Formats: sequence, C-alpha cells, structure tokens
Amino acid sequence: MEIVALNQISPDQVILWTWKFITLNVTILYTWLVMAILVFISWLATRNLSSEMNVSRWQHFLEVIISVVRGEISEMTKKGADNFVPLIGTLFLFICTSNILVIVPGFIAPTSSITTTAALASCVFIAVPYYGISRNGVLHYLKEYFQPNFIFFPFHVMGEISRTLALTVRLFGNIMSHEKVVGILLAVTPLLFPIIMQALGLLIGVIQAYIFAILSMVYIASALSADEEGHAHAHTKKEG
Amino acid sequence: MHIDWFVFAAQIFNFLLLMYLLKRFLFGRILKAMDDREAKIAARFAEADALNEKAREAADLYEKRNLQVNEKIEQMLNEATLAAENRRKELMEQVRTDVEHVKARWQDMLKREQEAFFFDLRRRAAGSLYATARKALSDLADADLESRIIDEFVKRLGSLEEEKLAQIRKAVAAGGGRIAVQSAFEISAAQRTQIEKAVSEQIVRDATMRYLVEPDVVSGVELRVNGHKIAWSLNEYLETLVENLTETLQREAHAA
Repeated sequence: MEIVALNQISPDQVILWTWKFITLNVTILYTWLVMAILVFISWLATRNLSSEMNVSRWQHFLEVIISVVRGEISEMTKKGADNFVPLIGTLFLFICTSNILVIVPGFIAPTSSITTTAALASCVFIAVPYYGISRNGVLHYLKEYFQPNFIFFPFHVMGEISRTLALTVRLFGNIMSHEKVVGILLAVTPLLFPIIMQALGLLIGVIQAYIFAILSMVYIASALSADEEGHAHAHTKKEG
Repeated sequence: MHIDWFVFAAQIFNFLLLMYLLKRFLFGRILKAMDDREAKIAARFAEADALNEKAREAADLYEKRNLQVNEKIEQMLNEATLAAENRRKELMEQVRTDVEHVKARWQDMLKREQEAFFFDLRRRAAGSLYATARKALSDLADADLESRIIDEFVKRLGSLEEEKLAQIRKAVAAGGGRIAVQSAFEISAAQRTQIEKAVSEQIVRDATMRYLVEPDVVSGVELRVNGHKIAWSLNEYLETLVENLTETLQREAHAA
C-alpha cells in the first residue's frame, strides 16, 4: 500500500485530518513518531547513567556519539562546545533517524517534505544571529555585515538567505528524490537492485544528516568571530 | 512548491520541543556524566600521583632508615667485637692467674711433701745414725753411749757463756726453781748426780730436778727452764746432714 503516491512530491500532501486551518498530515505524524522514538531511547539510555569507571554498553554508545558531535563542534568553534551540542546534536539525530527509518516499510521520512527541511533551516537561520549576538553583542554582529565596506551588506544578506535555502533544498532534494527513485525502480527492475539502492539510501541519509549538522555549525561558527569567518566560508565553498 | 505555513510552524515547534526534550533527557545527562567521570578520573590520577609521591617518600625514608640501621649494626658489631676481645683478654688473664695460683699451690704442696719427706728421712736417718753411732761407740770404745752423751751435755753446761747463764738463772728464779731434763733414754742415778752437780755449780743450788723420757729428743739430753733450753743431741748433726742432703736433692731436681 502506498501512503504517498508516486505523483505526490511531498508527504505534506497526504492529509489525515483537518479542522479550520489546522491540518494533520503524514509529515507531522512521522515527525512525532521520530521524536517519540528519540525521546524514549534517550530516556531508556540515560535513566541509569553512571559516572563510575564501568558503564553500560548503551552509555558507551551514546557517549561515543556525543563525543563525536562535541569533537566536531569544538574543532570548528575552538571554544566551548557544550552550548551548541543540543542544537547540532538534535539536528543530526533527528535527520539521521528520519533517514534511516526509511528502510522500515510504510515509513515516510519527514525530511522528504520541504516544509520540514525549511523549518529546520529556519531554526539554523535564527540560531546564527542568536549565537552571534549573545557572544559578541549586536553592534559587533551587525558590523560583520558591512565588511569590508557597506556595499557588501546586500550580498551578506543574500548569502544568509541563499544558504538557508540551500540547506532546505539539499536535504529535501536528496531524500525526496531517493524515495522516488526507489519507488520507480521497484516498478521496473527485479528485487535485488532496489535493495542495493536502499542500502545506498541509508548511506546518503547519514551523510545528509552529517552535512546538515556540520553546515549549521559552520554558519554559527562564522557568526561567532571575524577570525573564524574566513575559515567557515572556506568550508561552505568546499561543500557547495 | 507548496508550503503549508501551519505545518511549517508546527515543524519548528516540533523541532524546538525535540531539542528541549533531548537536552533534558540526553545531552544534559550524558555531558554531565562524562564531565563527572572526567573529573573523577582526574581526581583518581591526582590521587594516584599523590600516592605515588607518598610511596616514593616512604621508600626514601625506608632507604634512609635502612642505611641508619646498617650503620648501627656495623657499629654494634664493632663494639661487640671490641668487647669480646676485651673479655677474651680478661679471661686469658684470669686463666693465667688461676694457672699461676694452681701452680703456686702445687709447688707449695710439693714443697710440703718434700718437707714431710725430709722430715721423715731426717727422723729415720737420725734413728739409724743413733743406732749406728751407739753400736759403733759401744763396739769401739767399750763405753756406754748414753754416758758419753751425758758427759758431753755436762761439758756443754760447763762451757756456757756467762750471758746465757744469767738468762737461765733468771728463768729458773721465775719458774720457782724447777728444772726439767728430757732425754731419749733413762738416766741412771750416777748420771743424775753428775748432772745435778754441774747444775748446782753453774746455775743454781737446790733446784728441783725432774727427769723425763722423751723419744723425740733424738739421742740427746735437753735441759728446759721456763722457756730456755740447753741441749746436746744428735739432732744438730743430723740437721746439718739433712740440709746437705736436701740441697743436693733440690739441685738434682732443678737440673732435671
């Protein structure tokens, strides 16, 4: 049974319930599912956390993930990473879990909806000035928009908007197109080939989650100090 | 591309909610646990360092004490050796003294035995000489030896010096006029008269005479007055003979 028809480009179009302007579609439902899974696993894993020398496997697993996130962040900010761990970690875990659960039949990744990716990118769009201002103050942050002179102000603003748009479309495009490709291949090729495509899809999903999180961090890091801006832009260009 | 703005807002809310929940249930707790553990590990390292330091100090102290103990042992050993040496010398000295003592006692005993032997020898020699002389006198001169002894005794009384006589007279007066004559044989009446005559001539008249037979007085006569004595006996000759004999024997013993 297909939940999202092949000609429907987004799971947003599958509306389950509506009342006035409030709509409940498949995207929101699966978002809640992913959230529930993540929170449940988190609760399960951290309920018996110990700061002793001997810890459980679960705790080791989580600590490895958090350590990697923390390491990546501190590599970019060169400063305390703990402030950014919740935002970047949540982005990564949410996107990664959504993308991996695609292998479960009947599951539609919320990230294959442009509304979700736009919402996530908007959060990053807001987080960049938030962290920048809270670290350096409003004036210092705004001054960065007029560097090297005021002519560059519109380009800076356009840059901010376009990279948010890029974040949105990159994730949406990858996940949505993958689902469509698998759907089409299922119709025209034997069983084995779509399985390979699914495996590839898992890889793409994890990589996209990593890219989204890293880019978010790069953007935030670029707002934190002028010194690190060049470094951050270099990262952006390389990725683009 | 259609974007449902309600869904967009709902997704932002969902994301923020998830962020809050994960921060509360996952990141906060894990970061805290990790930090706690790091702090704990650091504390353990610090503790280990402190213990290590302490152990090193203890080892140093132990080594120092060991050295001290060794020094002390050496010192005590030296002292003990010295004390033992002193004690050995003392003991040796004591043993030497003891040996000297034993030797002296032994020599003393030997001397006494020698003396006893010579005393015995003297007595036997005297007895033998007496018998021989007596037999010789009686054989040769046909005269009674005892009468010859009395004669000789009387002669000696007659030839006494005046000083000695004065002493004897004084002694006789102090002793109440009693004079004792001791001899190895019985003195006959004639001989007694001869003696009394000589006494009255030389010493004192009317003395009370007492005659005793005493075998110890070897072949002779003794006149005893209150501590003084006039005698003639073979003893003198025999003593000379014994002395000569002793000297000869000792010379022989030393030569050996």
